[in-house]
Amino acid sequence: MRNPGPLMSIINYASREIQFKIVYYGPALCGKTTNLGYIHQRISPQNRGDLVSLATAADRTLFFDFLPLNAVVIKGFVTKFQLYTVPGQVIYNATRQLVLRSVDGIVFVADSQWEKMEENVESFKNLEDNLAKQNMSLDDIPYVLQYNKRDLPNIGPVNYLEYVLNNRKKRVQSFEVVSSTGQNVFATLNAVSQILLHKFSKQSDSNRGPAAAAGAATPRQTQGVVA
Amino acid sequence: MNAIPVLTIDDVANLDGVLADFLKKAEAELTVVIDRGGNVISQYGDMTVMDVTIIAALAAGSFAATRELARRIGEIEFNALYHQGNGSHIFMNSVDEETIMITVFGPLTTVGLVRFYSTGTAQQVALLLKALQKANHGYTFEASDISVAPIFTDSAPEPTTPS
Repeated sequence: MRNPGPLMSIINYASREIQFKIVYYGPALCGKTTNLGYIHQRISPQNRGDLVSLATAADRTLFFDFLPLNAVVIKGFVTKFQLYTVPGQVIYNATRQLVLRSVDGIVFVADSQWEKMEENVESFKNLEDNLAKQNMSLDDIPYVLQYNKRDLPNIGPVNYLEYVLNNRKKRVQSFEVVSSTGQNVFATLNAVSQILLHKFSKQSDSNRGPAAAAGAATPRQTQGVVA
Repeated sequence: MNAIPVLTIDDVANLDGVLADFLKKAEAELTVVIDRGGNVISQYGDMTVMDVTIIAALAAGSFAATRELARRIGEIEFNALYHQGNGSHIFMNSVDEETIMITVFGPLTTVGLVRFYSTGTAQQVALLLKALQKANHGYTFEASDISVAPIFTDSAPEPTTPS
């Protein structure tokens, strides 16, 4: 049996909080930081902390961006989601590995432009490799795909993006997004958060035996959202 | 897969006891135990002055980033890191393979005192966390406990009133 990898979420009964970590992953300049910036700008201030961005003078992510969010209450516990981005540039792979540590959910942000397809595929492969180094796999971690920059003229069709990125045995939800205007940015975040919570509820059920696990919610399959 | 690991009220009380004793002896302001992914496990001290969640994320990053530096001089990682400010300082030390302890302190004490007491405290914390993993507590919830409503909502910023 595979080693489950580093400790995932931990619950503090005293503070009555559950923490989850969601990582926005993707190639350089695909719009990961823009996603977090939009969420920070539009979410109610009492439900969020500061957006911490460790960027170079040219606004390229050097280390990571970080945005803590408070969300729904489940059985008296406040769920806290911590959103991270990884630096997309190829040279920062060690940083991407450390940001992926104890990840609970992933949003893979792809750049829809034709000339970025190779980088998208390389970044997705890089994600799989980096997870494998930590004894994790996309088979176990809730994730969704985001096809960003749908407002640009030179973009590939969604069918093609699905063909090159959503081709694992289990297909996942994907979203057409324009992160600069916020189109479907929240839809993506809500989808990965919902899948993540259901996974933990299912996980809980699986501890009580196969019968209970069989009755647990099944993950939703591919669902393209068109604005 | 296991259920989500849980710190019970008793676990938290035990950890708080160890951390409170450490803060008193070291005369530090705040101490936070985090996992290496940046999640807060326990915290004690004056938390009004800073956002502990952000401190935890950045400290985990800082600790991991210096690992490569350690390798260059033949170490696996640095056991402790010290960031010196003008009035406030941060000392971080490794608790175990999964956990780090962060201590924030000011001019009332010295890094030597913090370092001295943090070593024993880290060992005590490691023992408590090890016992926690063996205890196999788990928090559970049903799929029906999760609301179908969107978890996060896109709300337009408040309109600014003209002056």
